[in-house]
Amino acid sequence: MMEFLLEINTEEMPASHVKAGLAQLKEKIEKELRSNSISALSIETQGTCRRLVVFGDFASRQEDKEEVVIGPPKAAAYAADGSPTQAAIGFARSHNTEVGRLEVITTPRGEYVGLKKTAKGRVTGEVLAVGLPAVIASLSFPKMMRWGEVNLRFSRPIKRILCLWGGKLLPFTIEGIKSAGQTSGHKLHSPRAFKVASVSEYLGGLKENWVVLPADERKSSIRKQIEKRLRPLQAQLYPDDELLEKLTYDVEYPHVFLGEFPHDYLRLPLEVLSVAMREGQKLFSVIREGRQTPFFLGVADALRDRKSLIRKGNERVLKARLEDARFFWEQDLKIALTKRAEGLKKVVFQEKLGNYEAKSARLKQIVGYLCDRLDEKTLKKDAVQAAELCKVDLLTEMVREFPSLQGKVGGLYAREEGFPATVSQAIYEHYQPGGLEDPLPSSDAGALLSLADRVDSIVGVVGIGIQVTGSSDPLGLRRQAHGVCRIVLDRKLVFSLDQLLEKAISAYGDILEKPKEEIIEYCRVFFGQRLRFIYDGLGYRYDLVEASLASGLDPIYSSYLRLKALASLQKSPYFEPFILMAKRVNNIIRGLPPYALNPDLFSEKEERELWSSFSIIRDNALPLMAAGEFASAQSMIFKLQAPLNAFFDKILVMAEDKRVRQNRLAQLQAISQLLLKTADFSRVVIEGEKKEKERSS
Amino acid sequence: MSLQQYWADQGCYLAQPYDLEVGAGTMTPDTFFRVLDRRSWRVGYVQPSRRPNDGRFGENPHRVQKHHQYQVIIKPSPSDIQKIYIDSLVNLGINLSEHDLRFDEDDWESPTIGAWGVGWQVVLDGLEITQFTYFQQAGGVELFPIPVEITYGLERLEMFIEKKDNIFDLDWSGDVSYRDLRLREEKEFSEYNFNVADIDRLRESLALAEAEASMLIARDLLLPAYDLCLKCSHLFNLLDARGAISVTERVKTIGDIRALVVRIAQKYCAGQTGA
Repeated sequence: MMEFLLEINTEEMPASHVKAGLAQLKEKIEKELRSNSISALSIETQGTCRRLVVFGDFASRQEDKEEVVIGPPKAAAYAADGSPTQAAIGFARSHNTEVGRLEVITTPRGEYVGLKKTAKGRVTGEVLAVGLPAVIASLSFPKMMRWGEVNLRFSRPIKRILCLWGGKLLPFTIEGIKSAGQTSGHKLHSPRAFKVASVSEYLGGLKENWVVLPADERKSSIRKQIEKRLRPLQAQLYPDDELLEKLTYDVEYPHVFLGEFPHDYLRLPLEVLSVAMREGQKLFSVIREGRQTPFFLGVADALRDRKSLIRKGNERVLKARLEDARFFWEQDLKIALTKRAEGLKKVVFQEKLGNYEAKSARLKQIVGYLCDRLDEKTLKKDAVQAAELCKVDLLTEMVREFPSLQGKVGGLYAREEGFPATVSQAIYEHYQPGGLEDPLPSSDAGALLSLADRVDSIVGVVGIGIQVTGSSDPLGLRRQAHGVCRIVLDRKLVFSLDQLLEKAISAYGDILEKPKEEIIEYCRVFFGQRLRFIYDGLGYRYDLVEASLASGLDPIYSSYLRLKALASLQKSPYFEPFILMAKRVNNIIRGLPPYALNPDLFSEKEERELWSSFSIIRDNALPLMAAGEFASAQSMIFKLQAPLNAFFDKILVMAEDKRVRQNRLAQLQAISQLLLKTADFSRVVIEGEKKEKERSS
Repeated sequence: MSLQQYWADQGCYLAQPYDLEVGAGTMTPDTFFRVLDRRSWRVGYVQPSRRPNDGRFGENPHRVQKHHQYQVIIKPSPSDIQKIYIDSLVNLGINLSEHDLRFDEDDWESPTIGAWGVGWQVVLDGLEITQFTYFQQAGGVELFPIPVEITYGLERLEMFIEKKDNIFDLDWSGDVSYRDLRLREEKEFSEYNFNVADIDRLRESLALAEAEASMLIARDLLLPAYDLCLKCSHLFNLLDARGAISVTERVKTIGDIRALVVRIAQKYCAGQTGA
């Protein structure tokens, strides 16, 4: 085994590029080794914004390959006295060897003389010197660039490539950049290049030259320093993992400093203060008991801040930012939200879908509808008022400056103006959840307004024919629909999705281009995809998810209840036989037009009995389903098994008489329809079938 | 100024500010035309830059509708340009070992002139002092060799050096403060930009300038045509500050100006290859 080290030194890369680059480097070098039969004992990657590093222990050469070359038949190669013939001598000569080294080799066709050759594996260094330039050139980043006259696309300009193999420089060139046996430390504190001859020398050298290479070490150093600064204040960090992660990669030697700002600015809400700190200067805000303190924490790429110049510099800049924020806050509050709302007609929601005044009017209708549907009469007045005002903050200076505060700022202004807490809270929360994992609205009105806003956007965008594809999702419809599903499941909201969509479509008047049915159908599929994703994340079996979703999303929440019921029944002894039965029913009626049912035409005892059992079961199961009691409904339906069995045993469905035949099929169709309301059982995969499928595939 | 001397020592030709209203040093012909062809180019110049929307009636300690940039363009970008830049700060007397200097991801884009690049905003102890960009495209043309653009915000840099937190407190030259020099201008121009400029006449001027630019492009007078595009851009910014531009109109007008600029860039490049 020999030691390998590669460092690609660049100008500052974004954190996401560093991670993507390291993952690809590891994968591609491993692949390069594998395809060249070079074994690796270890391979590790590390990185900062200025370097991508790979090191490990690899075999010193490719594995040797045994090769056998067959010559003339034994009989022709040796004379009777055992001396080699001309044929053998010639064969040996042509392979640069002596006759004595030839061996007798037994083949299926008889005995031959031949030569066993060992093809010596190439030295790993040679293989890597040839392979690495291609590996480096093939790295891809979220956004690529070129620089100088270098014919290469990369994340940021490459300054130097360090590559060692077995303690020596491994020379190669990529687009004019020659590999070197040197690296350098921190860009300000130790910019001079220094030589390294081993991985340990490299790691030690970086440490001495003010670079903490492992990301987890940088992160824990930041965490420890933060704790140390906060302890005397008995305060906490306003948590921001995203910022911490970014800073971990942005600095090579983290120094945490504590700064202070004038107490006057504490009149501004925490939300505004923390955004002003984070967005401009990447500072953390410091809180105590959930309230902002006049302190902040910053992470510098520095050894220390002996003269407090870094702290003071940041304090000066922050003060100017907070002054801006206060100016916005005070200016904004001079105009009441209801007055400012007049400006919404000038703000475009979407080119074809009109302005935000129209959107607000639609939201009022949709939220009002949801309140009626969900029997939230006391909530209606406040929810509708929140809908009217929720977009007004788009016109405020604060949101123009800090777009990520939209919604929140509106809520804060509504609170300052003395609107009821229900109204301000709903406005504050109506963009929640932002990301897939983000918190949901905590208030009822906030949840309904969030639903209304999302459904309105989805219906509108779908209605003007914009398709969501893998790469294109303008307005983030996937995220919007995901949020709708999460809110519905979390709050156990039961309403008809189709009717809500219809309401949202009609609220647009005649603006939408697509016919109503097409929009609804698209939305059903779209929401179905989101639910599949959510259920999968909850750990439900794929086929049960499919079976549940195939029974429709009307209401969305029922699909979840169906799924839960299916999952709980799947252990019952009746489950599998019943599924088989359901599939049998479906197979018989597949592709047939609906037939009319006439109970008077039943001639046989078994079909009469099936009909009467079915009627009773149906009449009991339907109300159970309407009440969301899917497990009970499914258990009830399982009781169809006995009469169905008897039916299939005794009755020939495909009777000669066309009227009898169609009547029997009609009964099966009726049963199938009821089954489908519970779940599409034909999509459930049972043990026996699974094995069948595995064999055939 | 020591910046000028520094970049002159780096082999840059020292140009003078361009005499039209522009939003940034990037837009002047010394940058725009010179980055398009394959020839090497080194230049440094001060450029007063007007951004009507940034006006704050002289009441904001950081924002003004006109500020000064020191613009450096070097093509092809030297491999040690980051070090050269860092040394330029040292040369201004900043002892960097006591500070926090960061290159924060900030890709640059100017839809009006069909240009974009990859780079950073350079942040010194939390203060943004420079935009550092490797141009990738200008006038819709894919560039090669790649130029690097370094744009210092002179007021910001000066605030850092003087440790001032209000732009108007800057000591601009000896006994003249920035307040003496510029406060009245900021107030009056903010008033004009936001409240007084006549929208109809601005629109009319914009249409006239566009027509003139089109006519000049047809006659292959590309430099004058580009001047007219700069006028368009400034008139558009004024209309925008007046709140007269809707979102759709914004997209359309920027698209129109870009179309003119792209035609100029294409003709310019074609002429270069032919010559």
